[in-house]
Amino acid sequence: MKAQSSLGVVFFPAFDWAIHPLHPEREERLLYTLDQLNEEGIFDVEGITQYKPGLATPEDIMRTHFCFPDVSSVTTESHLISAGGTIKAAALVLDKIVNKSFALVRPPGHHAMKVVHGARGFCNINIEAVMVEYIRENYPVKKIAIVDTDCHHGDGTQDIYWHDKDILYISLHQDGRTLYPGTGAIHELGGPNALGTTINIPLPPNTSDEGFLMAMKRVVLPILKDFNPDIIINSAGQDNHYSDPITNMNFSASGYAQLTDMLNADIAVLEGGYSIQGALPYVNLGITLAMAGLDYSYVHEPDYAIKDLTQDHEITKYIKKLCDKVLQRYEECKKPSFKLMPGNYDVRKKEIYYDTDNIHEMQLESIMVCDQCRGVLKIETTSSVNPLCLGIEIPSGACDQCINEGYRLLDHALAGNRYKYVQLIDRINKKYVMY
Amino acid sequence: MYLGLDVGGTHTDTVIIDNSGVIAKSKIATTHDNLLSCITDSFSAVLANVDPSKIQRVNLSTTLTTNAIIQNKCEKVGMFVSGGPGIHPASYSIGDFYYIIDGQIDHRGTEITLLNLKQLDKAIKKCKKKGIKVYAVISKFSTRNPEHEQLIAQKLGDVDFISVGHRISGNLNFPRRIATAYYNTAVWRLYNSFSYAVAESLRAWGVTAPVNILKADGGTIPLHISQTMPVESILSGPAASVIGTMALCNITEDAVMLDIGGTTCDIALFADGAPLIEKDGIRIDDRNTLVRSLKTKSIGIGGDSVIKINGTSVTTGPERLGMSMAEGGNNPTIIDALNVLKRINFMDTSRSMEGLLALGKKYRLSVDDIANAAITYAMDVIYNAVMAMIEEVNARPVYTIYEFLQGKVIKPKTIYLIGGPAKTLSNIIARRFGLNVKVPQHCQVANAIGAAVARTTVEIELFADTQRCRLLIPNLEVNTRIPAGYTLDNAIDDAKNYMIQYLTTLGVDEKEREIEIVDTYSFNMVKGFETVGKNIRVRCQVKPGILHQCKDILKI
Repeated sequence: MKAQSSLGVVFFPAFDWAIHPLHPEREERLLYTLDQLNEEGIFDVEGITQYKPGLATPEDIMRTHFCFPDVSSVTTESHLISAGGTIKAAALVLDKIVNKSFALVRPPGHHAMKVVHGARGFCNINIEAVMVEYIRENYPVKKIAIVDTDCHHGDGTQDIYWHDKDILYISLHQDGRTLYPGTGAIHELGGPNALGTTINIPLPPNTSDEGFLMAMKRVVLPILKDFNPDIIINSAGQDNHYSDPITNMNFSASGYAQLTDMLNADIAVLEGGYSIQGALPYVNLGITLAMAGLDYSYVHEPDYAIKDLTQDHEITKYIKKLCDKVLQRYEECKKPSFKLMPGNYDVRKKEIYYDTDNIHEMQLESIMVCDQCRGVLKIETTSSVNPLCLGIEIPSGACDQCINEGYRLLDHALAGNRYKYVQLIDRINKKYVMY
Repeated sequence: MYLGLDVGGTHTDTVIIDNSGVIAKSKIATTHDNLLSCITDSFSAVLANVDPSKIQRVNLSTTLTTNAIIQNKCEKVGMFVSGGPGIHPASYSIGDFYYIIDGQIDHRGTEITLLNLKQLDKAIKKCKKKGIKVYAVISKFSTRNPEHEQLIAQKLGDVDFISVGHRISGNLNFPRRIATAYYNTAVWRLYNSFSYAVAESLRAWGVTAPVNILKADGGTIPLHISQTMPVESILSGPAASVIGTMALCNITEDAVMLDIGGTTCDIALFADGAPLIEKDGIRIDDRNTLVRSLKTKSIGIGGDSVIKINGTSVTTGPERLGMSMAEGGNNPTIIDALNVLKRINFMDTSRSMEGLLALGKKYRLSVDDIANAAITYAMDVIYNAVMAMIEEVNARPVYTIYEFLQGKVIKPKTIYLIGGPAKTLSNIIARRFGLNVKVPQHCQVANAIGAAVARTTVEIELFADTQRCRLLIPNLEVNTRIPAGYTLDNAIDDAKNYMIQYLTTLGVDEKEREIEIVDTYSFNMVKGFETVGKNIRVRCQVKPGILHQCKDILKI
């Protein structure tokens, strides 16, 4: 057997790490996946190679997140290895060692937001975002698309790229009105400098293969084509599976493999997925085979044949309509009805709950409306574990005005004693400092 | 006294060692068409002046099965394969009689669909009608549940031989299991007639000691076991050299072994003195197998590698076009380069000079420049291959945070050099690697010494599922009930006990039963928010090494 497209699999099951012994995110999670991949001899297939993750550095994290009080307080080694796994996956592809890569690592990351006070939705740091920022820092890549196929809305990834017009974030997920974290409605389309580069497709409970593939074909692929990214990343969560214990969807391993084939992502990153015996071994095998361009038509769950996964007619009708609505919103973003004046701050007030660590956070996020660049970003944040802190980000490609504004904010913050901690992300001078 | 014999590609080397060291040795040409002939000749050569009844152990490393597989001198095998969710078994088709039988077992060992007995009966009838007498049966996840394989074997009934997948290894890897079982059956008849003849020949000499066969992992198995597991005898040559080097040098550190022969240079690595083992198994005839093997790499650089010039760049290898000019060949080789530089004084040095002069004239280069450039090139190729191998080992995937952060990193301190041109090259290699190089005594027959002193090795994987109260050690055919409260400690004890039992049946001396636990895992299996059982895995081995009795002899 020979892969049509060479594939690097960065596999790190963290067999000695769990949130709690009985938590879905526990040691056993990738055990049966490893057994399945080993029994299939997947790493003997010519063109499929297994790699060891790297270790993400504090700089890799601080380039991406505002961590309060600091990186080491909100991460453990497992997070740095998991993020290091995505960095390795990216380097394999961008250094042209392989055509595609799959970071089969845990713990996951897509609920981790720009500011990190602790863990939410099983995530501390956003491993896709750490990877994306690593790519932008080290390679001449500008436009990146992230397609999130986890059942839960990737509110963390959305938050990080809300103001970033160079990153297209598309999420397919179970409707937020029926599942954690509750966000991801179709009107969530991005900040004033980046309208239309956040796309949400909230699918109804019991959506089957038919519905997912319909949304892919009607919405995801056309928008991707329009955006024309240099790289496509798949946040490959596997909890849309019909056997997942904490969600309500009807997606199958075969559906995941077909979706992977259609999407043709350069890099896939494992996110959620907690049916560790009945789904993960088959979904991961399906994704691996599809990415390598191999036949996946025999990949089925043991109970697939006896399950009736036909999609209800009403659901199909609903999804058709939903697809039209999302496309319409996307088109509207190209000609917004009103525009904010450049040179002013657009301010959002956010309350964020960290379910995993039981932390409450209050945020005041200000983005400079700018027609030259992504705009300087300022976040004032306080939480049940930290007093008022400040994060200032001068984005990559920032204009002179935004650079100056960033340093003006910093000087001002450091002159006073309003903030306990101040973190600067200066992508222009590659300066990532905690004051 | 210990007799070791290694059939190599060019020579068959034999030694007898006792308390005073190597007391008899022989090196004769290998007769590939009739291996028995060079083997019996070797026995004659070494046994002539010793008392055969004093020989305590005979260890043989042969190329019989390797050659049979590579030259496709195999018997027709009836293959019965049943799959399961995942890649279709048709992808691994091997031989002309490959039958897929419906039936599925999953990763936990749960039977999902029954074996299709109608289909099976039909396939059996077809094979028997075609006169097939030997078979291999393999099912997916048979190391988690061997029932389908057992049922197929039972239905096959009275045939000459059957290889059963889970008996080969406890490792997961369906395609490798298929290929390994196929080869095991394909060479079975040939190997058995050969092994009976060898045993017969030894008996005729009056040797009554147990006879063992060397495996690619540098360990031995008793001859009678090898008769049902002949595939274990493939590609044992490099392992003989590795164990030989261990026997001749007391290796305790991270090290590299280089065995430089006429055509190739074999590389092996040691971690704290122990030879590294290949993760899954060795590759033969373009197929991966589950045959456990030392991690060795062979590159096309040796004493007879031809010197080539392209413009002003001088290269050598991987081709070998016969012997060096000094030995009567027609093309100048590395040996000739060494002769010209007066590093060695090997046979006809004037012919070496002649060859290099002709090259020099043609390309307008000085003889010394060509010789030096060729040797430098050869050293670079070896150096790069060694470094790549070390890098690969150090980059091997790990699955725990502990291993990720604390895992062993190989940093060689010494190079052990054996083979024909070893002595001559030691300074050059030391300089190229910046490491201490040691060339052991008797290094020309290190391989035969390695064969002589190798201990018996076994590897098992115990798999326990306390939710189902089941314990399996597939390759020992252990399949038994355990209590729900079974723990990792119980599993470690059981693994050791079953191993000791097995080693006893193999006739392994108590002193040689050094069991090492390689890996242990115990996972809580959780359903909902409740622990429903433990999934326990224990891998243990008697690792390759030197017989304790021989350590005394060799004073190491």
